[in-house]
Amino acid sequence: MHLLSSLPKLRLFLTIITLSICLPLASTSSSVSSASSTATPSQAPSEHDYNEHLTLRPLPGNSLLASFNFKSNGSLDHGDHMLLFPRSLKQVLTASWARELHVKFTLGRWNAEEYGVQPNSGRTAGGTGVEVWAWVEAGDEEEAFARWTTLTNALSGLFCASLNFIDATRTIRPVLSFQPTGHHSDATLSRLHLLHGSLPREPVCTENLTPFLKLLPCKAKVGISTLLDGHKLFDANWQSMSIDVRPVCDDNGENCKLEMEQAVDMVVDIERSLRRRDSPIPKPRPHDQLLCDETKPYLTEDASCFPLDNLFDLGWSLSEIFGRPITGTCPFGVKEGVEALRVCLEVPDSRPVFLSVGSQERKFDPQNRCFLLPGEGYFDMILPKQRPPTLSPSTPPALFAERSFTGYGQERGGVQTILRNPSLTHSVDFVYLESLPWFMKPYLHTLSARLSGSPQANNEAFIKETYYRPALDRKRGTHLEIRMSVPRNSTVLLTYDFEKAVLRYTEYPPDANRGFDIAPAIIGILESQGVVGGVGGGEGRKVVSYLRTTSLLLYLPTPDFSMPYNVIILTSTVIALAFGTVFNILVRKFVLKSEVPKLGGRVSGLVGKVKNLLLKKRGKE
Amino acid sequence: MGLLLSKRLATIRPLAVLPFLSALCVVVGITWLLLLPLDSYSRRTYISENALLPGQASAYFGGSEQNIFSAYRHEAAELANATDAKRVQVLGNIFAAAGLKVGRQKYSYTASGQTYSGENVYAILQAPRGDATEATVLSAPWKNLDDIQNIGGVALVTTLARYLKRWSVWSKDIIFLITSDSLAGPQAWVDAYHDQHTSNPGVESLPLKSGAIQGAIVLDYPSGGNFESIHIAYDGVNGQLPNLDLVNTAGNVALHHFGIRPTLQEMWDHNDSYKDRLRTMLRGMVNQGLGHARGGHSVFVPYHVDAVTVQVHGDGWHNEVSLGRFLESMFRSLNNLLEHFHQSFFFYLLMAQKRFVSIGTYLPSAMLIAVNFTLGAIGLWVDSLGSSPPLPLTTTSTEKSTSHTTAAPIERDLFLPLTTVLVFHFLGILPLTLFNHLPTHLFTRTFSAFLFINLVLPFLLSSTLTSLIPASTRERQLKLIKCFSLLFLGMALSALATLNFSLALGVGVASAVLTFIPVEGNGKVVRGVMYVLLQCLSPGMALVGIACYWGVGMEEVLREASFGWWVSGMWTQIVVWCVWWPAWLCGGVLLAEGLVGWRGVEDVPVEEKKKQ
Repeated sequence: MHLLSSLPKLRLFLTIITLSICLPLASTSSSVSSASSTATPSQAPSEHDYNEHLTLRPLPGNSLLASFNFKSNGSLDHGDHMLLFPRSLKQVLTASWARELHVKFTLGRWNAEEYGVQPNSGRTAGGTGVEVWAWVEAGDEEEAFARWTTLTNALSGLFCASLNFIDATRTIRPVLSFQPTGHHSDATLSRLHLLHGSLPREPVCTENLTPFLKLLPCKAKVGISTLLDGHKLFDANWQSMSIDVRPVCDDNGENCKLEMEQAVDMVVDIERSLRRRDSPIPKPRPHDQLLCDETKPYLTEDASCFPLDNLFDLGWSLSEIFGRPITGTCPFGVKEGVEALRVCLEVPDSRPVFLSVGSQERKFDPQNRCFLLPGEGYFDMILPKQRPPTLSPSTPPALFAERSFTGYGQERGGVQTILRNPSLTHSVDFVYLESLPWFMKPYLHTLSARLSGSPQANNEAFIKETYYRPALDRKRGTHLEIRMSVPRNSTVLLTYDFEKAVLRYTEYPPDANRGFDIAPAIIGILESQGVVGGVGGGEGRKVVSYLRTTSLLLYLPTPDFSMPYNVIILTSTVIALAFGTVFNILVRKFVLKSEVPKLGGRVSGLVGKVKNLLLKKRGKE
Repeated sequence: MGLLLSKRLATIRPLAVLPFLSALCVVVGITWLLLLPLDSYSRRTYISENALLPGQASAYFGGSEQNIFSAYRHEAAELANATDAKRVQVLGNIFAAAGLKVGRQKYSYTASGQTYSGENVYAILQAPRGDATEATVLSAPWKNLDDIQNIGGVALVTTLARYLKRWSVWSKDIIFLITSDSLAGPQAWVDAYHDQHTSNPGVESLPLKSGAIQGAIVLDYPSGGNFESIHIAYDGVNGQLPNLDLVNTAGNVALHHFGIRPTLQEMWDHNDSYKDRLRTMLRGMVNQGLGHARGGHSVFVPYHVDAVTVQVHGDGWHNEVSLGRFLESMFRSLNNLLEHFHQSFFFYLLMAQKRFVSIGTYLPSAMLIAVNFTLGAIGLWVDSLGSSPPLPLTTTSTEKSTSHTTAAPIERDLFLPLTTVLVFHFLGILPLTLFNHLPTHLFTRTFSAFLFINLVLPFLLSSTLTSLIPASTRERQLKLIKCFSLLFLGMALSALATLNFSLALGVGVASAVLTFIPVEGNGKVVRGVMYVLLQCLSPGMALVGIACYWGVGMEEVLREASFGWWVSGMWTQIVVWCVWWPAWLCGGVLLAEGLVGWRGVEDVPVEEKKKQ
């Protein structure tokens, strides 16, 4: 956003792109509404179907995870026949030869200690900011990069994000971490190039949500997407919007279609959401609302109150959390079967749930309580206050990762990643991917892995494979991929040192003293050794889940930007002084006073003549 | 006319002017400093960083939070005699109940035979929507610098942790840190936060971390009740200072938005007169010059984290609500920061809450004093060729003198003087090592012995030196010794002036007399008086002076210094023992040479003069 605000021209350019993108969108929407009148959803061909789900899972600390999932399918052929799949995106994909595309907008932090594994095994979430990767079909790397540039520029306009800033310095070609998730024929696979870019500094906001919602067949007019209000979404502690486009075929490799999965995951602080309804300012609670520990001995002495927390699950309803109930159902959605439009709630059966009239409860699997939406009208769900709180079990992630800078100063620093395997029985294998900007130059020889608590580095034991592509100044960033293994119930520290480059004066972004954001490290957990199969990964092992560290803020030596001004002033002064003196010496002649002739020379002659003239005139008079 | 001027200049011996120039430098340097508090030379403080917007956000702390504060104050009071483990557990539970992530850290330092150990507990309020790139710190030591339990501070920090958690405006994480004590605990924590603790096995790593720390506020509120004013302490270790914007924001928010009177440098009654401004400035300079940690904030500053300590003082109508609102407002301001503190000054002298001078204005005074040594050294270098006669006016005599010098060229013998000066400087390692390694109970005795040695050491060294130097070149060699010693002192002090102005100025003023120590001539009475003066201005006596200024014993001063060396990473000792003390010793030796009298002293110069 800083970049955008600093470049009004660019912003204008973006707006124009957005406008031009929005025009075909408008036409799409009209075609959709006409389609709904002509073809009933049940008659739609299988490649043009759509479904949407909402899953709600209470998390510890009175938080709530809301996972929205929208899946729409479109035909894979290059024709213009679009029914539910957004035409704007299809055009972009066709123009850029992108066969598989993943775009992630993420904000906030996922608290893995309490919440456990991320929704969809981290498949739908990205690192802080914007992350995009795609498999582009091209003959060679150069062509692939050109198409990638086309793709990012188009997406930049489509999603109102600074994706066009993903240039060669921010693009990497991961080798071990990602594998195509869709079906690609072997012939296509050989021509696919994976490119990955991220913008950790991009603040995700409503301007990204609006185009995201416009890709949905029902926009945010009916169905569960009506809950997606910018004010609520961006007040969440953690939220992620993702778009995954991939070709999907049946088992025989036939009946292929283009699948687009749009997912919004958000962790809502229930208490904050409820309070906002009453007052936007969290003023201290009134005295009568305080819950005090009555057992404290000092309670009688004064008006002390030792507060009690987490005594109960707060009561909430959909309309309280999201500001409005679900309005209607999207008419294009699948109506029957497992894929039917529904809202699921992951709470034990013991917890009472009140539903609005017309909705039915369906059990698809034992942990979920799912509710089919009524066709018309509003759907709301009320969970009353529950005391004592229900403990919702969370699956711990296979690995906890925390990355931080070490050291201080403006010359060099270090990065330390703490990787903890909570499993008591299994070691965990994973691929650790770092994409560093060129001005942060890691020393690969300092890369070391050691067990927490032991002073000795033991790289052989933990680092299985390293893929390293060094940075080139101002051309490309560092790409470091490490396949590692952390033994059961142990913590491994991965550290390396780096040097900070000194940038050119014009290379600093606005607010240069804030520092530079370093993209989160991406960790792809490999499937356990027993199961073999799948493509990519280390030793042909598949990546089963992803997690990401937080981004980092890197301070570079930053000049005082008033310095150029001072330099200009100083040099101007010096030049003026020097010039003045030299000029003075050159054009003047210094003589002693005694050497000056008494009113001689031309001037005095002239004066004399004038005097004479005057005298003559007087004489005449 | 130019010819006339040059003729007139030629009559003045440049070497004769130099001592006066040196004296002038010292006088102007000190006068310069004394002028600084005047309105014409100092500036009004202002907030340079526009993003801070001090006091623009309303603070709502109060109401029922006061009842919670009261309960936490009871809790803290109950823990007065509890063990570290118990205390950390109770505080950790309070933080965890508020929904914060809690971390603990044990530490133990050893300095001069004493162990400083404890356990820190801290909690991280993760900014909603934040991404762990930036953080701010609100800290309260369990015991403050005077070893009084900081009940109010701890209670207010825990209450604020609960209260601030409910806001969703935070763009940076807030770390609430309760340290065991005021100096070692914060040091251990901030070292471990930056992973600089690995050299000390007694300090544990932090289990939880957040992003780059943008600012820190340490709260010292032992009473937990009413107070009259707040005292803002801002001196960092080694005389480093936090950005002036932070100090000004604290003062501005307190005074203009909550009516709390801010004070600086323990000047409880400051009426903005010249005298009070000067006293504030000088107190600030003493603290800066000593470079010791003055509270939890001091240890953050070397890591480029701007920090201040807020201490309450007196008895008035303000209470925990005013202080809580003040802190809330401060954190709203810090939260507004887009960039790291950089707009305002890092080098300044504050003389009132609204008055300061920046480096450009005050630096010349220390530089002038450092220049006085360099001028002295230049004079001695030229002079060491031998006492040249005053430049003659007539051409014939000039020819004569040149023929004289060319006939008997005098070369400087540099080996012995350079070695002597180097050896003196290496001798400085002895007291440095001694006072940093001795156990505390030996300090007083050792220090008395050291003062006595200081008294006689110049004589011992001078007799050794006399036996080494051939009598014929004695005077020239002594001049060169003084020359190198002064040159090094001048160089070191002018470099130091840009890092720690106050220390450079203090050492410079105390050793200004060194420039004027006579190498030759002068009676024994003058030398005797100078020797006494020099003994009064010795580094050892400076330590005694500090002890008197603080009103504590020598042992306490040396313990503090040793603690600073081993824990805070303070390097004032290096300047004192390896720069100042050798230069002082050199001056002492030169004086002693003249006082004791050498073998055949009276004859040699006479003979030399005759030869010449």
